[in-house]
Amino acid sequence: MSKPKLAIFDFTCCEGCQLQIVNLEEEILNLISLVNPVEWREAMSEHIGNYDIALIEGSITRPEDEEKLRRIRKRAKILVALGSCASTGGVNKLKNNFDLQEVKHCVYGQAADMPHLHTAPTKAIDEVVQVDYKIYGCPIDRREFAYIVRCLALGKSPEIPDYPVCVECKLQENICRYEYDEICLGPVTRAGCGARCPSCATWCFGCRGHIEEPNLSAAKEIMVRYGKTFQDLKNRMNIFGSKQRYADE
Amino acid sequence: MSIKKLDQAALDTWVNKLIANQSVYGVQAKGERFAFGPLSKAEDLRLDYDVTILPPKKYFQPQREDLLEFNAKGEYTSVTETEPFILFGVHPYDVVAIAQMDTIFSADNYDVHYMTRRHNATIVACDVQNASANVFAGCMNTATVTKGFDLLLTKIGEFYLAEAKTPKGEKLLTDLPGGLEPGNLDLARREQVWKDNTGLLRKHKLKCNPQELPGLLEKSYYAPVWEAKAKLCFSCGSCNLVCPTCYCFDVQDDVNWDLQSGKRTRAWDGCLLKDFAAVAGGHNFRSSRTDRYRHRFYRKAKYVAEKLNQIACVGCGRCISACVPKIANPVEVFNELL
Amino acid sequence: MSNQDIYVPQPATLLKKQPMTEYETFYEFKLDSGCELGHGPGQFLEISVPGIGEAPISISSSPTQAGIFQMVVRRVGNVTTALSKLGPGDKVGVRGPFGTKFPVDEVMKGKDILLVCGGIGLVPVRSAINYILDNRRDYGRLTILYGVKTPADRLFAEELAQWKATPEVTVLETVDRGDEAWDGHVGVITTLLPLVQINPAQTIAVICGPPVMYRFVLKELAKMAMEDESIFVSLERRMKCGVGKCGHCQMNDLYVCQKGPVFKYSEIKEVMEAI
Ligand code: SF4
Ligand code: SF4
Ligand code: FES
Repeated sequence: MSKPKLAIFDFTCCEGCQLQIVNLEEEILNLISLVNPVEWREAMSEHIGNYDIALIEGSITRPEDEEKLRRIRKRAKILVALGSCASTGGVNKLKNNFDLQEVKHCVYGQAADMPHLHTAPTKAIDEVVQVDYKIYGCPIDRREFAYIVRCLALGKSPEIPDYPVCVECKLQENICRYEYDEICLGPVTRAGCGARCPSCATWCFGCRGHIEEPNLSAAKEIMVRYGKTFQDLKNRMNIFGSKQRYADE
Repeated sequence: MSIKKLDQAALDTWVNKLIANQSVYGVQAKGERFAFGPLSKAEDLRLDYDVTILPPKKYFQPQREDLLEFNAKGEYTSVTETEPFILFGVHPYDVVAIAQMDTIFSADNYDVHYMTRRHNATIVACDVQNASANVFAGCMNTATVTKGFDLLLTKIGEFYLAEAKTPKGEKLLTDLPGGLEPGNLDLARREQVWKDNTGLLRKHKLKCNPQELPGLLEKSYYAPVWEAKAKLCFSCGSCNLVCPTCYCFDVQDDVNWDLQSGKRTRAWDGCLLKDFAAVAGGHNFRSSRTDRYRHRFYRKAKYVAEKLNQIACVGCGRCISACVPKIANPVEVFNELL
Repeated sequence: MSNQDIYVPQPATLLKKQPMTEYETFYEFKLDSGCELGHGPGQFLEISVPGIGEAPISISSSPTQAGIFQMVVRRVGNVTTALSKLGPGDKVGVRGPFGTKFPVDEVMKGKDILLVCGGIGLVPVRSAINYILDNRRDYGRLTILYGVKTPADRLFAEELAQWKATPEVTVLETVDRGDEAWDGHVGVITTLLPLVQINPAQTIAVICGPPVMYRFVLKELAKMAMEDESIFVSLERRMKCGVGKCGHCQMNDLYVCQKGPVFKYSEIKEVMEAI
C-alpha cells in the first residue's frame, strides 16, 4: 500500500496548529510512517500532481487566497480544515464586527492604504470550498489530530464529537465554573478538547465553535440565574463566536 | 461478624496499613468539593465529605475502558483488570446504587468487565457526616444501608464504629490495631445517627412515597412539565454522567499506528445527548430535547425501577448540582406531577 | 457464573460478495468454527471490522440454508463502508444472533402470510420467505408486497422473479418513481394493499421498512380488518451492544435488541416511542 500524500497549507493564522503537530514529538515519527508529507512550496507547484489529504490551516481573508484554495481543492482527494481559523473562522472573524477600513487603520496606521495590505471579510474554509473534515480547536488537540490522521489513513471517517464540552468536563470530575458564577461556554461548545480550559480552572472560550444544535436561547435565559446579563454572554462569545452561524440570536 | 470501636488515631494507623498492602481509593478534597481518588496516606482521607463530584461507579465502569484488543490478524481478545482494591468511604446512597448496577451488569448477560472489577473491590461504606446541599436520600430510603458493603463505618462523637458485613470486611478488620469492643451505649448512638440521617438527608422533599413514582409516571407522559423544563436543556448529559445509576455506554475502535492492531473501548454515554438514539444513516429515534429529557426520568422512576423493583434514583442530588440551567432536580419534577 | 466475554466476536470468513444496487451489497459468510449460526428469521448480528468498529446487521439467509449465512448491507457508516471493501477470504468478527424472530415456527404456521416490505426491509424478511418456501406445506398463501424508491433500488431481483413464478405465491411490487424501463406499479407501498385479497382471520402480516412506513401500512391493515395480534413489525433502532446493556436501542422501557427487533404489534401499540 503506498502511503497517502499529505500536504499542509496555511492561510491567515498564527500557525499554532502546525506547531501542535510538531509537538507530537515521538508520535511524529509514527505519523510520518503513515503518510508522505509534501512541502508547501512543492505542493503548490503544478508537477506534484494530486494529494490524498490536504490540511488547510488558517482562514481566508484576501480574495487571492480564495483562488489558491480552490486550486488546492481541485487537487485534494480529502480536504481537512485544521484548527479554529480554518474550520469556523475563529478569532479572525472578530474583524467582521467592524468596518474594514477602520480595522486596517487601527492595525496598520498610516500604512493602511498600501496595496498589499488590502483585506476582505474573514471566511472559514467551508465558506469557499467544500470541506470533508474539520479538526476543531485553538489550537487543535494533538491526540485528536493523531486519531483523525489514523482514521483517514485507514479510510474511516473519524468520530468527531457533536456534544458539548460539559461532557468531557464532567468526565474529568471538574468543579463547574458556574459554581464560581463565571460564564462558561462549555454547554454550547463542541467537545473534543478534553475540557482543557475548565480542567485548568478557567471557563471555556468556545474555541471549537458551536455544536450543531446549541441551545442558545437557554444560554441567554440562564444568565439571570447567575446574576449576569445577555450582554455579558455576548461579550464572552465574541472571541470565537463572532459571526458564527448562530451569533446574532 | 464483628464490630470494633476506634478513635481517629487508630483509624489513621489502620488506613495506612491498608494502603501499604493494596490499592485504596478514598474520598479527598478537590478544591472546595470532594472526589474519590487513589489514597496515598490516611490524613488525605475526608470521611466528613458531603458528596463526591462523580460517584464511585468510575471504579467499576471507568469513564473510558478497554474492552477488547485486536491484532493484525483480526483476532479479538478480552481485556479485564484484575487488581484487587479497597473503595473507602462510600456513602449509603452510593452503596445502593452500586448494588443496582451489580444487578444490571450481572443479570441476563454477564458483563465480565464490570463484574471482574466489582469482585476485586472491597467496599468500606461510611455513614454521612455532613449533608450536601441537594441530597434527598432520606426521601428515597437510601440514607442508611444494611447491605451491599463489606464494612460500614459510622462516626459517633469522637469515635468510629466499624462493622464487618462480609468475610472480606472481616479480613480488613484483622488489620485493625487495638480496636475496642463497643458497648451498648455506642450501638445506641449509632442507631441515633441512622435515625438522624434519615431526617437530615432531605434537602428536597419528595411529596409522595417513592413506590408511587412508577404509577405517577404512568399517567404523566404528556404532562407540560417535560417541555417546559426541556426548553432550557443544553443536551449536555451532565445529569447522566454524574448519576450513580446511569450506566449507558458507547463503544469505539481505535487503531495503533500500524493501522491493524488496536483496541475497542467503551466510554460513558448519556441519553440526554443529541445523537444517543441516532442510527447510522441519520434517523434519530429520539430527536427532540423534550423526549430525551423525559426519558431520563422514566428510566429512573419507571423503566429501570420496574425491572429492579426499586427506584433507580438514590437521591444523591448530584444531577441537581451538575445541571447548569437547574432543571434536573428529580424531586421538583415529581412533585410537580403530583 | 460464566466468565465468557459477551463482547468478544467470533471470527467469520467472507465467501462471496456481490453488489446489488449502487449502495447495497450482498455478502455470504461462514463461521470459522464450522458451527451453524443457529439463528431464526428476523434476528441480527453485530459485525466487527477490526479497527473500524461494530455495527448491527440483519441476517438475510434462512436457517434452512446450512453452513453459511448471508447479509445485504447498505453503505451508510464506517463499518458498512469497510465491509464493502472486503474481498473473499477476508475476516470479520461476529456476535449474535441477537433478538426476536419472526414467529415462523409458531403463529405463522398453517396461516396465510402477508409480508409488507419497504426498501432494505426486504433483507431480514427474505430469511422468512426462504424459510417458508423450504417448509412450504406448513403455510398457506404467501403474499409479498415490496416497495422501493426507484427500480434501481430493487434488491434480490432474481429471487423476486423466482418467487413470482412459484405457485401459491403472489409478489406485488411498486416504486415511488419509475423510469423508462419500468412498466410495473408506481406509488407508495400502501397503494398495493387494496390489490390483495386476504382472509384477515387466517392471515399473519409482517411489516418491515423505513420508520415512516409503519403508521400508514398499519392503518391500511386495520381497514382490511387485520387484528393487532396478527401483525408483526420489525423495528430498527441503534443496536450498539445487542445484549441489553448500552441503552441505545431503548424504546420507552423496551430494549429492542432483546425484546425486538420483531414485535407483535398489539404488544407495542401503547409504547409511545415505538412507531
Ligand atoms: S465548567 Fe463549563 S464545560 Fe464544565 S460543566 Fe461547567 S459549564 Fe460545562
Ligand atoms: S437521578 Fe440525580 S439524584 Fe437521582 S441518583 Fe441520579 S444523579 Fe442522583
Ligand atoms: S443494543 Fe445495547 S441495550 Fe440494546
